[in-house]
Amino acid sequence: MTTVRTPDPPVAWDTPVRARRRDRPPGRRRKSRPEAFAFLTPWLLGAVALTVGPMVVSLYLSFTDYDLFTSPKWVGFGNFAHMVTDDDRYLQSVKVTLIYVLVSVPLKLTVSLLVAMLLNTRRGGGGFYRAAFYAPSLLGASVAAALVWRALFMGGGPVNEVLASVGWHTPSWVDDPRFSLASIVLLGVWQFGAPMVIFLAGLKQIPAELHEAAAIDGAGAVRRFRHITLPMLSPVIFFNLVMEAIHAFQAFTPAFVIGGGRGGPADADLFYTLYLFEVGFQDFRMGYASAMAWVLLAVIAIVTAIVFKTAKLWVFYDDAGERR
Amino acid sequence: MRRTRERRTLVALAAVVPLLLTGVAACGSDSGGGDVTITFVWWGSDGRATLTKKAVELFQQKNPKIKVQTSFSAYAAYWEKLATQTAGGRPPDVLNVDTRYLAEYGGRGVLADLNEGAGKSISLADVNPELAATGVYQGKRYAVPWAQNTPAMLYDPAAFTAAGADPAKGLTWDQYAEATQKVSAAGGARGTTDFGILDTTLEIWLRQQDKQFYTPEGKLGFTADDLRRYWQLAGRFRESKGASAADVTASYNTSPEQSPLGKKLTSSEFAYDNLLPAYQKANGKPLNVAPYPTGGGGSTGQYRRPSMFLSVSARSRQQEAAAKLVDFLVNDPEVGKIVGTDRGLAPNLKVRAQLASSAKGADKTLYDYEAALEPKLGAAPPVPPKGAGAIQKLLQRTYEEVAFGRMSVDDAVNRFMSEAEKGLQ
Repeated sequence: MTTVRTPDPPVAWDTPVRARRRDRPPGRRRKSRPEAFAFLTPWLLGAVALTVGPMVVSLYLSFTDYDLFTSPKWVGFGNFAHMVTDDDRYLQSVKVTLIYVLVSVPLKLTVSLLVAMLLNTRRGGGGFYRAAFYAPSLLGASVAAALVWRALFMGGGPVNEVLASVGWHTPSWVDDPRFSLASIVLLGVWQFGAPMVIFLAGLKQIPAELHEAAAIDGAGAVRRFRHITLPMLSPVIFFNLVMEAIHAFQAFTPAFVIGGGRGGPADADLFYTLYLFEVGFQDFRMGYASAMAWVLLAVIAIVTAIVFKTAKLWVFYDDAGERR
Repeated sequence: MRRTRERRTLVALAAVVPLLLTGVAACGSDSGGGDVTITFVWWGSDGRATLTKKAVELFQQKNPKIKVQTSFSAYAAYWEKLATQTAGGRPPDVLNVDTRYLAEYGGRGVLADLNEGAGKSISLADVNPELAATGVYQGKRYAVPWAQNTPAMLYDPAAFTAAGADPAKGLTWDQYAEATQKVSAAGGARGTTDFGILDTTLEIWLRQQDKQFYTPEGKLGFTADDLRRYWQLAGRFRESKGASAADVTASYNTSPEQSPLGKKLTSSEFAYDNLLPAYQKANGKPLNVAPYPTGGGGSTGQYRRPSMFLSVSARSRQQEAAAKLVDFLVNDPEVGKIVGTDRGLAPNLKVRAQLASSAKGADKTLYDYEAALEPKLGAAPPVPPKGAGAIQKLLQRTYEEVAFGRMSVDDAVNRFMSEAEKGLQ
């Protein structure tokens, strides 16, 4: 499977770094240093052998019919045409993945921002809560967390029991096509720790004077949030949005474990990556799977590019004046 | 300046050389002497692994020149791993194959033809001729049966006795429907796990009407109308609440521990007779095994199923050692004693007769059951075509649409038939 490079963390508001770079004497900037390449060799070897090489091969395979055992047969754009014209499950997997991205990403960003703002107030035990809220992210992509999730939400599981005790009888959340995807979204949102920590760092960068001045001028909490916190935080929101969207498109483990390794009840959890895996390793259609992987890569690249383009409209850097 | 450049190059070399050396060292092989090493893989639980490793150890004692490296995984993961290893050009020497995947691997030249070369040393002389005839696809013997089981019904006798039914004597589908309804009505576990999702049960039901799941040419052997009638039968059980609710049915997973009967959510389930001990362990209550319900007086449709095959990789460089291991696992009486009924009954009839005489507990139930059924068992159907593994999942998926009320039986039948035809091309 292909991975997408993540953008650098936002450092735009971090003017000292920028300044230092400018102070550097121009002559020393681009001097080639052979030993640097020597030390980079291990990484270069890994990158070429383990990432670039397989990617080139998979690009070739995406134009072939390849069953893993016999040699690939060239089919041109046949695989790509098949996806849109003759594969209902492919379209189902696109639908499931889009719903997941469109629901889980905004929800996760909202929750992580709210929690970050709560933790940003000066109360005792901040460090403890920060760690406690961050912990689920560390378990993030793990199979163990997904297994626990399945056990919590399955028929007769703790969630069923608690809801039944207040008179709401629900079926197994993970095995009912109406709720199954929702339970996976919930697992994704629960792992809000990583964006939260970044939000927290961003919030701490906002100068207190701005809030004080606005408060003296009579701005309430909502107004200050809307006109100070959000604009000042927009580079961080931008960064988190891009990262989370890329992750959401590539979600695999929770769907694989919670959906029983087959796309869940009636294909309700058939994530794109899950279908790709099934096509490649269970149905022996590696050419088609490679084509699917490249479409996913292209879609993620396009979505990221769109987010970057719109960024000019809503992301504010406090050094914008200097840039012009 | 020149000197610094040299020093830099030296630093660079210092950084790279150890790396290259480790690379070279890792490529060196450690095989030596006259000994050969073969790899052997299978699917199954930890319990099965313990037994199988014991059998392999015995083989090594008797053949000190051959070293066997073993590994195992759960059923689904096993096929994913095997596909990757095979694609990478390093399939294991001896491997377990399921009838659903025999065409997939055999037909693509991954498995050695055991009628040729070293494979000829594998003896099937004492194996039931109908069972021995399995493992042959398009005239080539890609596998030999390692054990025999038969599709069967596993049930909780206490629950069914209370409902006034005795599945062991053989029920009709009508009687079974009535009994499961009564079991559900008594509270506790439902009567049966909804069998609309099970390809094996569909196959047996078709055989009861002299039809087949796959034709020898590898096409579907039944019509849309057959499938409609099958799902209508399952629908009777589901609507009368004799069968499990849709969300329980959707949680079905082929391992006994994860299936509704294993989790005590139902009182009967269609599976294979050799799984009785595993189901009993998971469920906790004494369970029993019964023949399939029939259409009334007719055949049960059950057959001698090769529960697992042993194959040798066509690319193996150690064909002789591999064939030796396969022959040992199939025919050695000691191995029969070690592995017991875990995979099913021993394929070698002499070994089986020996084991049957000393069996106890669930093992004895199993031997008695198959002994009573033996004369009625038919021959196994032809090897399923490529894509059979996917058909099983397709049946499960489309029936779930019906069970959850998201699709009518007719629409689901149409979807199944069109996707199945595409998948089997």
